[in-house]
Amino acid sequence: MAHIVPVTFVTEGGERVEVKAEAGQSLMQVAVSAGLEGIIAECGGYASCATCHMYVTEIDGDSSEVGDEEEEMLDFTAAPRTDESRLSCQVVLTDAMESVTARIPDRQK
Amino acid sequence: MDISLDALNQDPYPIYEHWREQGGAPWVPALGMYVVPRHADVVAVARDLHTFSVIDGDSLSKQIMGTTMNRREGAEHMRERKAAEPPLKPRPVQDHWLARFQALADELIDNRIEQGRMDLVRDFSAPYAALCLRELLGLDGVEAEQMLQWSAALIAGSSNYEADPVVREAADTAAEEIGELVDRAIELKSAHPDDTVISSMVHSPHQVGVEAIRSNIRLFISGGLNEPRDVCATATYALLTSPAQRRRVAEDPSLFEVAFEESLRWTSPVGLLTRRTTAPATVGGTEIPSGSRVGLLLASANRDAEVFDRAADFDLTRGKTPHVAFNGGAHICLGAWAARAQVGRVALPTLFGRLQGLELAEPDEVAFRGWVFRALPSLAVRWER
Repeated sequence: MAHIVPVTFVTEGGERVEVKAEAGQSLMQVAVSAGLEGIIAECGGYASCATCHMYVTEIDGDSSEVGDEEEEMLDFTAAPRTDESRLSCQVVLTDAMESVTARIPDRQK
Repeated sequence: MDISLDALNQDPYPIYEHWREQGGAPWVPALGMYVVPRHADVVAVARDLHTFSVIDGDSLSKQIMGTTMNRREGAEHMRERKAAEPPLKPRPVQDHWLARFQALADELIDNRIEQGRMDLVRDFSAPYAALCLRELLGLDGVEAEQMLQWSAALIAGSSNYEADPVVREAADTAAEEIGELVDRAIELKSAHPDDTVISSMVHSPHQVGVEAIRSNIRLFISGGLNEPRDVCATATYALLTSPAQRRRVAEDPSLFEVAFEESLRWTSPVGLLTRRTTAPATVGGTEIPSGSRVGLLLASANRDAEVFDRAADFDLTRGKTPHVAFNGGAHICLGAWAARAQVGRVALPTLFGRLQGLELAEPDEVAFRGWVFRALPSLAVRWER
Protein backbone atom coordinates (compact mmCIF):
# COMPACT_ATOMS: atom_id res chain seq x y z
CA MET A 1 0.00 0.00 0.00
CA ALA A 2 1.15 3.47 -0.84
CA HIS A 3 2.46 5.64 1.96
CA ILE A 4 -0.14 8.23 2.98
CA VAL A 5 0.93 11.83 3.54
CA PRO A 6 -1.54 14.13 5.31
CA VAL A 7 -1.59 17.41 3.37
CA THR A 8 -3.19 20.59 4.71
CA PHE A 9 -4.06 23.37 2.30
CA VAL A 10 -4.84 26.80 3.75
CA THR A 11 -7.08 28.67 1.34
CA GLU A 12 -7.08 32.37 0.61
CA GLY A 13 -10.01 32.81 3.02
CA GLY A 14 -8.14 30.98 5.82
CA GLU A 15 -10.07 27.71 5.56
CA ARG A 16 -8.01 24.54 6.21
CA VAL A 17 -8.59 21.69 3.77
CA GLU A 18 -7.08 18.36 4.87
CA VAL A 19 -6.37 15.66 2.30
CA LYS A 20 -4.87 12.21 2.76
CA ALA A 21 -2.53 12.04 -0.24
CA GLU A 22 -0.38 9.22 -1.58
CA ALA A 23 3.40 9.33 -1.97
CA GLY A 24 4.32 9.79 -5.63
CA GLN A 25 1.68 12.45 -6.26
CA SER A 26 2.66 16.09 -6.69
CA LEU A 27 1.10 18.74 -4.44
CA MET A 28 -0.53 20.16 -7.58
CA GLN A 29 -2.17 16.82 -8.41
CA VAL A 30 -3.42 16.52 -4.84
CA ALA A 31 -4.89 20.04 -4.95
CA VAL A 32 -6.53 19.57 -8.36
CA SER A 33 -8.00 16.19 -7.38
CA ALA A 34 -9.41 17.78 -4.23
CA GLY A 35 -11.10 20.41 -6.42
CA LEU A 36 -9.29 23.19 -4.61
CA GLU A 37 -9.98 26.65 -6.01
CA GLY A 38 -7.00 28.87 -6.64
CA ILE A 39 -4.77 26.32 -8.34
CA ILE A 40 -5.09 26.59 -12.12
CA ALA A 41 -2.11 24.43 -13.21
CA GLU A 42 -2.61 25.33 -16.86
CA CYS A 43 0.28 23.29 -18.22
CA GLY A 44 -0.59 20.21 -16.20
CA GLY A 45 2.74 19.75 -14.46
CA TYR A 46 5.64 20.75 -16.72
CA ALA A 47 6.88 23.88 -14.92
CA SER A 48 5.83 25.95 -17.96
CA CYS A 49 3.00 28.17 -16.75
CA ALA A 50 3.54 29.25 -13.10
CA THR A 51 -0.19 28.89 -12.28
CA CYS A 52 0.16 26.25 -9.54
CA HIS A 53 2.08 28.52 -7.16
CA MET A 54 1.79 27.69 -3.42
CA TYR A 55 3.50 28.83 -0.25
CA VAL A 56 4.75 25.60 1.28
CA THR A 57 4.97 26.51 4.95
CA GLU A 58 5.91 23.10 6.31
CA ILE A 59 7.26 19.80 5.02
CA ASP A 60 7.77 17.38 7.89
CA GLY A 61 10.21 14.50 7.49
CA ASP A 62 11.85 15.19 4.13
CA SER A 63 12.97 18.11 2.01
CA SER A 64 12.21 18.98 -1.56
CA GLU A 65 14.65 21.09 -3.59
CA VAL A 66 13.76 23.80 -6.08
CA GLY A 67 14.98 22.73 -9.53
CA ASP A 68 16.46 25.03 -12.20
CA GLU A 69 13.32 25.31 -14.33
CA GLU A 70 11.18 25.90 -11.27
CA GLU A 71 13.63 28.50 -9.98
CA GLU A 72 13.25 30.54 -13.19
CA MET A 73 9.47 30.27 -13.31
CA LEU A 74 9.05 31.29 -9.66
CA ASP A 75 10.17 34.81 -10.63
CA PHE A 76 7.01 35.07 -12.77
CA THR A 77 4.25 34.03 -10.40
CA ALA A 78 1.26 36.38 -10.15
CA ALA A 79 1.30 36.56 -6.34
CA PRO A 80 4.58 37.72 -4.78
CA ARG A 81 7.41 35.19 -4.46
CA THR A 82 8.62 34.43 -0.92
CA ASP A 83 11.09 31.94 0.56
CA GLU A 84 8.15 29.53 0.86
CA SER A 85 7.12 29.81 -2.81
CA ARG A 86 7.01 26.62 -4.83
CA LEU A 87 5.45 25.43 -8.07
CA SER A 88 3.29 22.72 -6.55
CA CYS A 89 3.66 20.51 -9.65
CA GLN A 90 7.34 20.18 -8.78
CA VAL A 91 6.79 19.15 -5.13
CA VAL A 92 6.41 15.38 -5.20
CA LEU A 93 5.33 13.64 -2.01
CA THR A 94 7.80 10.99 -0.79
CA ASP A 95 7.68 8.01 1.55
CA ALA A 96 9.77 9.97 4.05
CA MET A 97 7.27 12.84 4.34
CA GLU A 98 5.13 12.84 7.48
CA SER A 99 2.97 15.86 6.64
CA VAL A 100 2.85 18.92 4.38
CA THR A 101 1.15 22.28 4.89
CA ALA A 102 0.75 24.76 2.04
CA ARG A 103 -0.98 28.09 1.69
CA ILE A 104 -2.80 28.98 -1.56
CA PRO A 105 -2.02 32.46 -2.96
CA ASP A 106 -4.79 34.95 -3.73
CA ARG A 107 -4.14 34.77 -7.49
CA GLN A 108 -2.35 32.79 -10.19
CA LYS A 109 -2.78 35.20 -13.12
CA MET B 1 -30.56 26.02 -35.89
CA ASP B 2 -28.39 26.38 -39.00
CA ILE B 3 -25.21 24.47 -38.16
CA SER B 4 -23.23 24.81 -41.37
CA LEU B 5 -19.64 25.83 -42.05
CA ASP B 6 -21.01 29.06 -43.46
CA ALA B 7 -22.93 29.88 -40.30
CA LEU B 8 -19.91 29.02 -38.14
CA ASN B 9 -17.68 31.26 -40.22
CA GLN B 10 -20.11 34.16 -39.93
CA ASP B 11 -20.67 33.97 -36.19
CA PRO B 12 -20.04 30.76 -34.24
CA TYR B 13 -21.10 32.12 -30.85
CA PRO B 14 -24.87 31.45 -31.07
CA ILE B 15 -24.03 27.91 -32.22
CA TYR B 16 -21.55 27.45 -29.38
CA GLU B 17 -24.22 28.56 -26.93
CA HIS B 18 -26.66 26.07 -28.41
CA TRP B 19 -24.07 23.28 -28.03
CA ARG B 20 -23.25 24.27 -24.44
CA GLU B 21 -26.94 24.14 -23.58
CA GLN B 22 -27.22 20.71 -25.23
CA GLY B 23 -24.31 19.62 -23.03
CA GLY B 24 -21.92 16.71 -23.41
CA ALA B 25 -20.15 16.40 -26.76
CA PRO B 26 -22.63 16.75 -29.65
CA TRP B 27 -21.88 14.87 -32.89
CA VAL B 28 -21.76 17.37 -35.75
CA PRO B 29 -22.28 15.74 -39.16
CA ALA B 30 -21.13 18.85 -41.06
CA LEU B 31 -17.74 18.56 -39.34
CA GLY B 32 -17.46 14.80 -38.99
CA MET B 33 -16.52 15.15 -35.34
CA TYR B 34 -17.79 15.32 -31.79
CA VAL B 35 -17.41 18.83 -30.38
CA VAL B 36 -16.65 19.71 -26.76
CA PRO B 37 -18.24 23.10 -25.97
CA ARG B 38 -18.09 23.41 -22.15
CA HIS B 39 -15.17 24.84 -20.19
CA ALA B 40 -14.85 22.01 -17.64
CA ASP B 41 -14.94 19.33 -20.36
CA VAL B 42 -12.41 21.16 -22.54
CA VAL B 43 -10.00 21.37 -19.59
CA ALA B 44 -10.45 17.69 -18.76
CA VAL B 45 -10.10 16.46 -22.36
CA ALA B 46 -7.02 18.64 -23.05
CA ARG B 47 -5.25 16.98 -20.10
CA ASP B 48 -6.16 13.40 -20.99
CA LEU B 49 -3.72 12.92 -23.85
CA HIS B 50 -3.81 9.18 -23.36
CA THR B 51 -7.48 8.89 -24.39
CA PHE B 52 -7.68 12.02 -26.57
CA SER B 53 -4.53 11.72 -28.63
CA VAL B 54 -2.90 14.52 -30.64
CA ILE B 55 -1.75 11.87 -33.14
CA ASP B 56 -4.21 12.08 -35.99
CA GLY B 57 -2.94 9.87 -38.80
CA ASP B 58 -1.78 11.22 -42.15
CA SER B 59 -3.37 14.68 -41.88
CA LEU B 60 -2.95 17.38 -44.52
CA SER B 61 -0.76 19.43 -42.20
CA LYS B 62 1.53 16.43 -41.67
CA GLN B 63 1.79 15.81 -45.42
CA ILE B 64 2.79 19.44 -45.97
CA MET B 65 4.85 20.37 -42.91
CA GLY B 66 6.14 16.99 -41.75
CA THR B 67 5.58 15.68 -38.21
CA THR B 68 5.54 18.61 -35.81
CA MET B 69 5.68 18.61 -32.01
CA ASN B 70 1.96 19.38 -31.66
CA ARG B 71 1.28 15.98 -33.22
CA ARG B 72 3.78 14.06 -31.08
CA GLU B 73 3.25 12.45 -27.69
CA GLY B 74 5.15 11.72 -24.50
CA ALA B 75 8.93 11.77 -24.49
CA GLU B 76 9.23 12.56 -28.22
CA HIS B 77 6.98 15.59 -27.83
CA MET B 78 8.83 16.78 -24.74
CA ARG B 79 12.25 16.41 -26.40
CA GLU B 80 11.30 18.69 -29.30
CA ARG B 81 9.42 21.09 -27.05
CA LYS B 82 12.28 21.38 -24.56
CA ALA B 83 14.75 21.94 -27.41
CA ALA B 84 12.75 24.92 -28.71
CA GLU B 85 11.58 26.31 -25.37
CA PRO B 86 14.57 28.08 -23.71
CA PRO B 87 14.36 31.37 -25.70
CA LEU B 88 10.58 31.49 -25.16
CA LYS B 89 10.66 31.28 -21.36
CA PRO B 90 9.62 34.34 -19.37
CA ARG B 91 13.16 35.33 -18.30
CA PRO B 92 14.65 35.68 -21.83
CA VAL B 93 11.39 37.26 -23.01
CA GLN B 94 11.72 39.94 -20.34
CA ASP B 95 15.49 40.45 -20.45
CA HIS B 96 16.13 40.05 -24.17
CA TRP B 97 13.06 40.11 -26.41
CA LEU B 98 10.96 42.84 -24.81
CA ALA B 99 13.32 45.65 -25.93
CA ARG B 100 13.57 44.12 -29.40
CA PHE B 101 9.76 43.94 -29.72
CA GLN B 102 9.52 47.58 -28.60
CA ALA B 103 11.99 48.67 -31.28
CA LEU B 104 10.02 46.82 -33.98
CA ALA B 105 6.70 48.32 -32.83
CA ASP B 106 8.13 51.84 -32.66
CA GLU B 107 9.60 51.60 -36.13
CA LEU B 108 6.27 50.53 -37.63
CA ILE B 109 4.48 53.40 -35.86
CA ASP B 110 7.21 55.90 -36.89
CA ASN B 111 6.49 54.99 -40.52
CA ARG B 112 2.76 55.68 -40.16
CA ILE B 113 2.28 58.32 -37.49
CA GLU B 114 2.26 61.33 -39.85
CA GLN B 115 -0.49 59.83 -42.00
CA GLY B 116 -3.08 59.91 -39.23
CA ARG B 117 -4.78 56.69 -40.29
CA MET B 118 -4.02 53.09 -41.22
CA ASP B 119 -5.41 49.63 -41.56
CA LEU B 120 -4.24 48.36 -38.18
CA VAL B 121 -4.00 44.76 -39.41
CA ARG B 122 -2.24 45.35 -42.72
CA ASP B 123 0.01 48.19 -41.56
CA PHE B 124 0.77 47.23 -37.98
CA SER B 125 -0.34 43.99 -36.37
CA ALA B 126 0.48 41.71 -39.33
CA PRO B 127 4.01 43.00 -40.07
CA TYR B 128 4.69 43.35 -36.34
CA ALA B 129 3.74 39.72 -35.66
CA ALA B 130 5.80 38.57 -38.66
CA LEU B 131 8.89 40.53 -37.64
CA CYS B 132 8.70 39.46 -33.99
CA LEU B 133 8.41 35.83 -35.08
CA ARG B 134 11.29 36.18 -37.52
CA GLU B 135 13.51 37.50 -34.72
CA LEU B 136 12.41 34.86 -32.22
CA LEU B 137 13.05 32.03 -34.67
CA GLY B 138 16.27 33.44 -36.10
CA LEU B 139 15.28 33.64 -39.77
CA ASP B 140 17.51 36.62 -40.52
CA GLY B 141 16.77 38.74 -43.56
CA VAL B 142 13.31 37.45 -44.46
CA GLU B 143 10.74 40.13 -45.30
CA ALA B 144 7.57 40.38 -43.20
CA GLU B 145 5.51 40.02 -46.37
CA GLN B 146 7.22 36.70 -47.16
CA MET B 147 6.56 35.35 -43.63
CA LEU B 148 2.87 36.30 -43.94
CA GLN B 149 2.56 34.68 -47.34
CA TRP B 150 4.16 31.43 -46.13
CA SER B 151 1.94 31.38 -43.08
CA ALA B 152 -1.25 31.88 -45.10
CA ALA B 153 -0.19 29.21 -47.63
CA LEU B 154 0.53 26.63 -44.90
CA ILE B 155 -2.76 27.35 -43.11
CA ALA B 156 -4.76 27.13 -46.35
CA GLY B 157 -2.99 23.90 -47.28
CA SER B 158 -3.66 22.34 -43.88
CA SER B 159 -7.43 22.80 -44.29
CA ASN B 160 -7.59 22.12 -48.03
CA TYR B 161 -10.26 19.43 -47.72
CA GLU B 162 -11.55 20.22 -51.23
CA ALA B 163 -8.09 19.07 -52.47
CA ASP B 164 -7.62 22.19 -54.58
CA PRO B 165 -4.31 21.55 -56.42
CA VAL B 166 -3.39 25.26 -56.52
CA VAL B 167 -3.74 25.58 -52.75
CA ARG B 168 -1.72 22.41 -52.22
CA GLU B 169 1.08 23.51 -54.51
CA ALA B 170 1.35 26.89 -52.77
CA ALA B 171 1.59 25.12 -49.41
CA ASP B 172 4.21 22.66 -50.65
CA THR B 173 6.24 25.51 -52.12
CA ALA B 174 6.08 27.44 -48.84
CA ALA B 175 7.17 24.35 -46.90
CA GLU B 176 10.08 23.80 -49.29
CA GLU B 177 11.22 27.43 -49.18
CA ILE B 178 11.08 27.50 -45.38
CA GLY B 179 13.04 24.24 -45.30
CA GLU B 180 15.82 25.74 -47.43
CA LEU B 181 15.96 28.85 -45.29
CA VAL B 182 16.06 26.79 -42.09
CA ASP B 183 18.96 24.75 -43.49
CA ARG B 184 20.93 27.95 -44.04
CA ALA B 185 20.05 29.20 -40.56
CA ILE B 186 21.15 25.88 -39.03
CA GLU B 187 24.52 26.17 -40.75
CA LEU B 188 24.97 29.73 -39.53
CA LYS B 189 23.88 29.06 -35.95
CA SER B 190 25.94 25.88 -35.65
CA ALA B 191 29.03 28.09 -35.88
CA HIS B 192 27.54 31.15 -34.14
CA PRO B 193 25.05 30.30 -31.38
CA ASP B 194 22.62 33.08 -30.44
CA ASP B 195 19.37 33.69 -28.51
CA THR B 196 16.98 32.33 -31.16
CA VAL B 197 14.75 29.27 -31.31
CA ILE B 198 16.66 27.73 -34.23
CA SER B 199 19.95 28.15 -32.39
CA SER B 200 18.43 26.63 -29.27
CA MET B 201 17.24 23.60 -31.22
CA VAL B 202 20.60 23.18 -32.97
CA HIS B 203 22.58 23.23 -29.71
CA SER B 204 20.03 21.55 -27.45
CA PRO B 205 21.12 18.65 -25.24
CA HIS B 206 17.76 17.12 -26.23
CA GLN B 207 19.26 16.46 -29.68
CA VAL B 208 16.62 16.95 -32.31
CA GLY B 209 17.47 16.27 -35.93
CA VAL B 210 17.46 18.65 -38.89
CA GLU B 211 14.13 17.32 -40.16
CA ALA B 212 12.49 18.04 -36.79
CA ILE B 213 13.84 21.60 -36.85
CA ARG B 214 12.50 22.14 -40.37
CA SER B 215 9.06 20.75 -39.52
CA ASN B 216 8.69 22.66 -36.28
CA ILE B 217 9.78 25.98 -37.78
CA ARG B 218 7.03 25.43 -40.39
CA LEU B 219 4.64 24.83 -37.51
CA PHE B 220 5.73 28.06 -35.77
CA ILE B 221 5.27 30.06 -38.99
CA SER B 222 1.83 28.59 -39.62
CA GLY B 223 0.72 28.78 -35.99
CA GLY B 224 2.73 31.57 -34.34
CA LEU B 225 1.92 34.47 -36.56
CA ASN B 226 -1.80 34.97 -37.03
CA GLU B 227 -2.60 34.56 -33.32
CA PRO B 228 -0.55 37.53 -32.08
CA ARG B 229 -1.61 39.47 -35.19
CA ASP B 230 -5.29 38.81 -34.54
CA VAL B 231 -5.34 39.27 -30.78
CA CYS B 232 -3.64 42.65 -31.24
CA ALA B 233 -6.38 43.83 -33.61
CA THR B 234 -9.16 42.25 -31.56
CA ALA B 235 -7.97 43.78 -28.28
CA THR B 236 -7.57 47.19 -29.93
CA TYR B 237 -11.10 46.97 -31.30
CA ALA B 238 -12.47 45.85 -27.92
CA LEU B 239 -10.83 48.78 -26.13
CA LEU B 240 -11.92 51.31 -28.79
CA THR B 241 -15.54 50.20 -28.46
CA SER B 242 -15.65 49.96 -24.63
CA PRO B 243 -15.14 53.51 -23.27
CA ALA B 244 -15.22 52.37 -19.64
CA GLN B 245 -12.52 49.73 -20.20
CA ARG B 246 -10.46 52.18 -22.21
CA ARG B 247 -10.52 54.67 -19.34
CA ARG B 248 -9.18 51.98 -17.04
CA VAL B 249 -6.15 51.22 -19.22
CA ALA B 250 -5.51 54.94 -19.67
CA GLU B 251 -5.34 55.32 -15.89
CA ASP B 252 -3.30 52.18 -15.35
CA PRO B 253 -1.28 51.01 -18.40
CA SER B 254 -0.34 47.76 -16.63
CA LEU B 255 -3.94 46.75 -17.43
CA PHE B 256 -2.99 46.32 -21.10
CA GLU B 257 -1.69 42.92 -20.05
CA VAL B 258 -5.13 42.14 -18.61
CA ALA B 259 -6.71 43.46 -21.83
CA PHE B 260 -4.57 41.00 -23.78
CA GLU B 261 -5.76 38.04 -21.69
CA GLU B 262 -9.39 39.18 -21.68
CA SER B 263 -9.30 39.65 -25.45
CA LEU B 264 -8.06 36.07 -25.83
CA ARG B 265 -11.02 34.93 -23.77
CA TRP B 266 -13.60 37.20 -25.40
CA THR B 267 -12.77 36.37 -29.03
CA SER B 268 -10.22 33.56 -29.02
CA PRO B 269 -8.01 33.61 -32.13
CA VAL B 270 -7.87 29.79 -32.19
CA GLY B 271 -11.38 28.43 -31.82
CA LEU B 272 -10.81 24.71 -32.37
CA LEU B 273 -8.21 22.03 -31.66
CA THR B 274 -8.70 18.44 -32.76
CA ARG B 275 -7.94 15.17 -31.01
CA ARG B 276 -8.60 11.49 -31.80
CA THR B 277 -9.86 8.99 -29.25
CA THR B 278 -7.66 5.96 -28.63
CA ALA B 279 -10.40 4.13 -26.64
CA PRO B 280 -14.12 4.52 -25.96
CA ALA B 281 -14.57 7.69 -23.92
CA THR B 282 -17.27 9.66 -22.13
CA VAL B 283 -17.40 13.46 -22.23
CA GLY B 284 -20.06 15.20 -20.18
CA GLY B 285 -22.28 12.10 -20.46
CA THR B 286 -21.80 11.59 -24.21
CA GLU B 287 -20.27 8.26 -25.17
CA ILE B 288 -17.66 8.57 -27.90
CA PRO B 289 -16.36 5.50 -29.75
CA SER B 290 -12.65 4.76 -30.10
CA GLY B 291 -11.02 6.30 -33.19
CA SER B 292 -13.37 9.32 -33.29
CA ARG B 293 -12.37 12.86 -34.08
CA VAL B 294 -13.06 15.23 -31.22
CA GLY B 295 -12.99 19.03 -31.52
CA LEU B 296 -12.08 21.08 -28.45
CA LEU B 297 -13.97 24.36 -28.81
CA LEU B 298 -11.61 26.70 -26.98
CA ALA B 299 -13.62 29.77 -28.04
CA SER B 300 -16.83 28.26 -26.70
CA ALA B 301 -15.25 27.24 -23.37
CA ASN B 302 -14.12 30.84 -22.99
CA ARG B 303 -17.76 32.03 -23.16
CA ASP B 304 -19.14 29.40 -20.77
CA ALA B 305 -21.56 31.12 -18.37
CA GLU B 306 -20.72 28.49 -15.72
CA VAL B 307 -17.28 30.08 -15.45
CA PHE B 308 -17.69 33.64 -16.76
CA ASP B 309 -20.46 36.08 -15.77
CA ARG B 310 -21.81 38.10 -18.71
CA ALA B 311 -19.41 36.09 -20.84
CA ALA B 312 -20.12 38.05 -24.05
CA ASP B 313 -18.84 41.27 -22.46
CA PHE B 314 -15.23 42.43 -22.74
CA ASP B 315 -14.46 43.21 -19.09
CA LEU B 316 -11.09 43.92 -17.50
CA THR B 317 -12.37 43.41 -13.96
CA ARG B 318 -12.87 39.65 -14.10
CA GLY B 319 -9.85 38.96 -11.93
CA LYS B 320 -8.80 35.32 -11.81
CA THR B 321 -9.73 34.31 -15.32
CA PRO B 322 -8.76 30.76 -16.30
CA HIS B 323 -9.33 31.12 -20.05
CA VAL B 324 -8.22 28.24 -22.26
CA ALA B 325 -7.17 30.21 -25.35
CA PHE B 326 -3.60 28.88 -25.01
CA ASN B 327 -4.93 25.32 -24.60
CA GLY B 328 -3.76 23.47 -21.49
CA GLY B 329 -1.76 20.46 -20.44
CA ALA B 330 1.52 19.39 -22.05
CA HIS B 331 0.62 21.05 -25.38
CA ILE B 332 -0.04 24.49 -23.90
CA CYS B 333 1.01 27.25 -26.30
CA LEU B 334 4.81 27.44 -26.43
CA GLY B 335 4.68 31.09 -27.49
CA ALA B 336 2.41 32.26 -24.66
CA TRP B 337 5.04 34.21 -22.72
CA ALA B 338 6.38 35.83 -25.88
CA ALA B 339 2.84 36.74 -26.98
CA ARG B 340 2.04 38.35 -23.63
CA ALA B 341 5.08 40.59 -23.97
CA GLN B 342 4.62 41.20 -27.69
CA VAL B 343 0.99 42.30 -27.47
CA GLY B 344 0.17 43.07 -23.82
CA ARG B 345 3.36 44.83 -22.86
CA VAL B 346 4.44 46.36 -26.18
CA ALA B 347 1.89 46.59 -29.01
CA LEU B 348 -1.20 47.75 -27.10
CA PRO B 349 0.54 50.32 -24.84
CA THR B 350 2.47 51.61 -27.86
CA LEU B 351 -0.63 52.00 -30.06
CA PHE B 352 -2.71 53.70 -27.36
CA GLY B 353 0.23 55.67 -25.94
CA ARG B 354 1.62 57.09 -29.17
CA LEU B 355 -1.47 57.49 -31.37
CA GLN B 356 -3.35 60.31 -29.61
CA GLY B 357 -7.11 60.19 -30.03
CA LEU B 358 -7.01 56.73 -31.60
CA GLU B 359 -10.46 55.73 -32.89
CA LEU B 360 -12.20 53.54 -35.45
CA ALA B 361 -12.21 55.20 -38.89
CA GLU B 362 -14.99 53.05 -40.35
CA PRO B 363 -16.94 51.57 -37.42
CA ASP B 364 -19.69 50.19 -39.67
CA GLU B 365 -17.20 48.18 -41.73
CA VAL B 366 -15.74 46.16 -38.84
CA ALA B 367 -16.57 42.47 -39.16
CA PHE B 368 -15.08 39.39 -37.52
CA ARG B 369 -14.72 36.28 -39.67
CA GLY B 370 -14.06 32.61 -39.06
CA TRP B 371 -14.39 30.09 -36.28
CA VAL B 372 -11.36 27.74 -36.43
CA PHE B 373 -9.43 31.00 -36.53
CA ARG B 374 -11.54 34.05 -35.65
CA ALA B 375 -10.22 37.49 -36.52
CA LEU B 376 -10.75 40.93 -37.98
CA PRO B 377 -9.40 40.78 -41.54
CA SER B 378 -8.96 44.57 -41.42
CA LEU B 379 -9.44 47.38 -38.92
CA ALA B 380 -9.38 50.98 -40.17
CA VAL B 381 -8.24 53.40 -37.46
CA ARG B 382 -7.34 57.09 -37.32
CA TRP B 383 -5.77 59.49 -34.83
CA GLU B 384 -4.82 63.14 -34.38
CA ARG B 385 -1.82 64.13 -36.45
